[in-house]
Amino acid sequence: MDALLDQARDIWEGEIDFRGQSLADNLTTFLLIASSVISVLVGFTTQDIYKTLYVGLGGTALTFLLVVPQWPYFNQKPEPWLPARVQKASAASRVDLGGVQIEVDGKRVG
Amino acid sequence: MHSTVVRVQNVFGFFTSAAFAVAAAIAVSVLLIPQAPSASLELKNVQVVKGRPHYYSTKREEYAHVKFDLDADLTSLFNWNTKQIFLYITASYPSSSPSTIPPSEAVIWDAIIPADNAPLHPNTYVHPTPKGVKPPKNKKSKSTKRGKPYPEGGSPGIIKLNSQKPKYQITDVKGKIAERENATLTLHWNVQPYVGALVWDNRQTWGLWKGLKGGKSEVFSFPSLKGSETVKQADLKTETGGERNRGSPA
Repeated sequence: MDALLDQARDIWEGEIDFRGQSLADNLTTFLLIASSVISVLVGFTTQDIYKTLYVGLGGTALTFLLVVPQWPYFNQKPEPWLPARVQKASAASRVDLGGVQIEVDGKRVG
Repeated sequence: MHSTVVRVQNVFGFFTSAAFAVAAAIAVSVLLIPQAPSASLELKNVQVVKGRPHYYSTKREEYAHVKFDLDADLTSLFNWNTKQIFLYITASYPSSSPSTIPPSEAVIWDAIIPADNAPLHPNTYVHPTPKGVKPPKNKKSKSTKRGKPYPEGGSPGIIKLNSQKPKYQITDVKGKIAERENATLTLHWNVQPYVGALVWDNRQTWGLWKGLKGGKSEVFSFPSLKGSETVKQADLKTETGGERNRGSPA
């Protein structure tokens, strides 16, 4: 049950990776500008303002469809979390990160 | 853009900007479409009789009843951004002291002429069938029952009116209009767009928009007052528009 709820929440929240966020932003800008320009051109050349309305609204609907859901192309490069810290009783000063090394300004801190 | 809700907000937010830009482009685009309206407007007949502004009024005023001929081609006013045009004819005559008081203008007739793709509205104008043209027989459909705002075979902006009755009888502020001189009839309009600015009629060329050719009658004088017994009531009838039910008691 919990697993099912987690899955449902993941789909609702639709979190995507950093590359995906950049892609979603670019897609929004490109698609909306393109559909606006096309809608004005189509309406002007056919002298029918209703075509402008419908092409514009159609392009917007397509943008929502392509950008809003958690599509797989938004999660191509997920950034993994660091492993959980497990503190050892013997070395209190050093934190064991399970083999992961963290460097800050060339100096190892973890 | 990390979660669904943020993406919905971002897309919708940018959509509003894009829609505004599209509307602005449409509003400006009408300047690229040439216009060359022309019209011929002539006075047919004018009579002045005494009357009352309304049934219970004790005031007796002089009313002018102006009939006219109008042959107009305003088709170039209908572009992709034209929803309808409001067409009206004014009778104007100079004041008693033209140097200080501007001339008087009174509307004698008007009509709302919608574009072919405009939503249906009961107030819009129905063009009368010209004389000598058989009214089309339609026994089949209800959709053809309501007439078009232009004559058979025309397009929006074509107006051919012969001996048209006025919609409004006119009087002066003083209640005296008989024997006023140097009056003219003038055709005016408002172009009402789907998006953008309301545009009035113009008589000068402005970019691709040519000014109205014609659309002004020759100078005439209002005749002297006629007794009500010498004028047939049928000659003083006015036209009613589609808006006739507006404001009348239920």
